[in-house]
Order: sequence, then C-alpha cells, then structure tokens
Amino acid sequence: MGIITILWEKWVEFRRDFYKITLAAMIAPLMYLVVFGMGIQTISHGEPYLNFLIPGVVSLTTMNGSFNAIAQNLNVQRLYEKAFDQVMISPTPLWQFIAGQIIGGSLRGFYAGGVILILTIPIDTGLIFNGWSFLIMFLNGAVFSAIGVVVSFLAKNHADVPRFSNYIIMPMAYLCNTFFSTEKLPGILGKFVSALPLSQTSHMIRSISAGEGFQMTGIAVLGAYLIVFTAIASWFIYKKKNL
Amino acid sequence: MIETKNLTKTFDNFTAVDSLDLKIETGEFFGLLGPNGAGKTTTISLLSTLLLPTKGEILIDGQKLTRNRPDLKRKISVITQEYSMRQDMNMDEIMEYQGRLYFMSRKEIKRRTEELLEFCDLIKFRKRTVRKLSGGMKRKLMVCRALLTDPEILLLDEPTAGMDALSRRQMWNLLRKLNGKNLTILLTTHYMEEAQNLCSRVALMDHGRLEEVSTPSALINSLGNYTVDEFSGDETKSHYFHTREEAIAYLSGLSGQASLRETTLEDVFVERAGRHLMPS
Repeated sequence: MGIITILWEKWVEFRRDFYKITLAAMIAPLMYLVVFGMGIQTISHGEPYLNFLIPGVVSLTTMNGSFNAIAQNLNVQRLYEKAFDQVMISPTPLWQFIAGQIIGGSLRGFYAGGVILILTIPIDTGLIFNGWSFLIMFLNGAVFSAIGVVVSFLAKNHADVPRFSNYIIMPMAYLCNTFFSTEKLPGILGKFVSALPLSQTSHMIRSISAGEGFQMTGIAVLGAYLIVFTAIASWFIYKKKNL
Repeated sequence: MIETKNLTKTFDNFTAVDSLDLKIETGEFFGLLGPNGAGKTTTISLLSTLLLPTKGEILIDGQKLTRNRPDLKRKISVITQEYSMRQDMNMDEIMEYQGRLYFMSRKEIKRRTEELLEFCDLIKFRKRTVRKLSGGMKRKLMVCRALLTDPEILLLDEPTAGMDALSRRQMWNLLRKLNGKNLTILLTTHYMEEAQNLCSRVALMDHGRLEEVSTPSALINSLGNYTVDEFSGDETKSHYFHTREEAIAYLSGLSGQASLRETTLEDVFVERAGRHLMPS
C-alpha cells in the first residue's frame, strides 16, 4: 500500500537524521521551559506557571515538528530534487501519498512532543498525560502536516516555506493558548485565535493534564481542519495542471 | 500504443504544445526532435501526467490517461531530463523506494536491483548517496530505476545528456536490446546521431507543433544522401545531392577546400532549423 511506502521513506529519513531531528525538536521548547518556566518563576491561576506552560510547549512542539517535517522537505523534493515527479508518475494513488505524508508528519510531531514530555519527567509537576493527550497530539500533528503539504505545493521557491512559517506558524506558536490563555486576547481577536487548531490542542491537553475533562468539540474542530486541508492538498495533487 | 489527440498545453499566453496528434505503435522506437523550446519536454511531461493538458487527450492502449489511472501509469517509466532523485538516499534506497511506489515485492526489488546495478556497473557504489555520485552515475542510476519496474513504455527525455562517449554507446546498446523485447520507447534528444542510430521513426517539432513525422532515412533522402562541405574562410557551406555521381561532379568543379560525405540526420535538422525551425 502506498501509505506504507511513504512511511518507509519517512523512516529512512528519520533513521539517517535521528540526532539532528531530535536535537532540533528539543532546543527551542527547552529554552521556553527554562526561560519562562524556571527563569521567570510566576504563578498562573494559583498554580506554578510551569504547569500552564508545559502543555502549551508540548502542543507547539508537535505543531512545529509536523509542519517542518513535511513543508520544507516536500518543497525541496518538488522544486529542487524533483523526486516528487517520480511519485506523480508512479501508480501509487496520490491520495495514499497525501495520507502517508500526513501520518508520517504527525508521527514526527508526536515524537518531538514526546521528547519534551520525557524531558519534563524529572520536574515534579503532577501533570497528567494519558491516551487522550497522545491522540490529541497526533491529531494536531496531522492538521499541521496537512497544512505542510498545502504550503509545499503553494510555495514557488524554497524561501516561501520559511516565509509562511514566519507569518502563520510563528504567531500561532506564541498566541494560541501556549504561553498565555486566549481569554486575555480582546474581543474578536480572542475568539478567532481560540478557534485555531493549536489553541484547541493546547486547551484540551492542558485540561487533561490538570485532571479536568475536555470537550469533544475540540477534537471535532481539529477533525474539521484536517478534512479541509487534506481536501485542498488533494485538489492540488489531482487537479492542478502545473504542479 | 501511445496516442495523443489534439494535445495542447498553454502556460499563461504561451503555447508550449499545440494540437499535437501523434501515434506511436507498440514496440516502436520513436524520436522527438526539435530546437530548444520546441515543446519536447512538455510533451514528455504531459505523457507522464506531470503536467495536465489544457486541451486534448492522451490514450494508452486506447484508454484515457489521467493522474487517477494507476493501471495505465504502471505501464510507463520515465527518465527525466533533470536528476529526479532524493539526494540523501543511497542507490539501494532509491531503487527500493521506486519498487515500493510500483507495488513490487521486496524480494523482487532486491533481485532486480542486484541485476540492474550489476549490469550498469554501479554495484560497488550501491551504498553511496546520490549527492556523492558523478553526473554519469546518476544518469545510469535513473536508467536502472526506470527499468526496475519492467515497463511497457519508456519515456526518455535527453537520457544520455552528460554521459561520456563510452557510457552513451553502452546506453544505446541497452536501449536497442530493450526495444528488441517489444518495449515502446519515446526518446527526445539533442544528439542527432543518437536518433539516427536508434529510432525507427522521428518527429520534428517546432513552436509546439508537429512539423513532420518520418523515418530517419526518408528525411535524409529528402535532403539528399550525399553532402559536399565547402570550406571558405570561417564558413562551411553544405550542398546536398541525391547521387554520389552528382556530388563528385560538383566537387570536381570546386577550386577551394571541400569534402564529400554521407548526409546525416543532423544535416536535416540543421537545414530545417535554418529554414523554418528557427524562433520567429
């Protein structure tokens, strides 16, 4: 099956660049945790700020891990290496290629988030991470992998991917319920940011980690984002005349 | 059989391929020739579904080719003009990736990989990443990759570009052998000698249009089988004759330096390019 082929390709890449991928996934989130959580020690909602911060950092790490694994890589394959041409030519159904990219990217995001979780084990926070947290991390990764596929097709040159990352991914990393609650954002901006996938992810993971339940609507929202971006990626790959 | 009907591809206001009607029979070795920008690579891209046509259609064995026809795509292998490979994969990985994309079993991939890398004298470099290969080795690897899947149709876009003379001859022998096994081959090349040696029919393209389809010998015959090259100063002027006697008679009347030889497909191409294949 084509999905397995793409996952195999991702595995070859992961195995070869294991140390680079792992280090890259760790550096920024660790800095956030050290600077904001340990350096500037504050209390949020009556709890150490670190308890608020960890779920947010895990969410944004998952997002970054997934998006970066797909967008830049696929863009290089399409515009520079032209390796993507061989996929287009091959009989592998293109929807399976997209699904493979999304699952592969999601696993990379999941791995990056997992590394951060492991690193926070020595910190005695009492936060809870269970099967639901992992499912939400995976789903968040899937959404941003799908966005990564779309961006890699939209980008007309290699500089476009970091540009998109600067304009969209980076603001989300800071604003979407990661370092502070979206409730602090005024009016319509707050509502808009709350509806973004990373806000939903952070909110759900934080609720679970605090031992509270979470609303399934968050999962439905992530599912809707996933469907929309997968549909756009499929349109590109099947219908765009000059890909 | 490959058939294109009214195949047209435009980019904004530029028509790269214009109403192309082409029929290539099963087992034929067909050459697509033309100056730079004639639309040869765009045609290959359309036939491999990398680009979708603006108008017209492509039929493979009578069935319409689209991106959503894995059964038809299974029959086709393409060697693109550019090196289309993951730079960070080694040869074994490149071959395995290709085999997996074509749903081959791992056992079959392994067997064919050994066979093809051995045949192309690449076996000792199998663990070397693409980034570290020479241009010629990359080309050979692309050939191995294309043949791995045992295609029925092989689309070759400048397959010997960047190869040394020996490798090129080896490639010609290989292509002849493959064509002998009823493999349909469509070749674009800038080497006229290559087209003349390999192709049973060639098409001349210019400005996206098909100018003429014929056999290399018929094209040469239309110009004249014998050529007298007349050298005067910096310029070489060629004159074409249908018989050797006519050519010798002309040659004996010349006072300056001149030579007699057989006409080649390159002469035909140069003459056509000079007359009406030049960009307008």
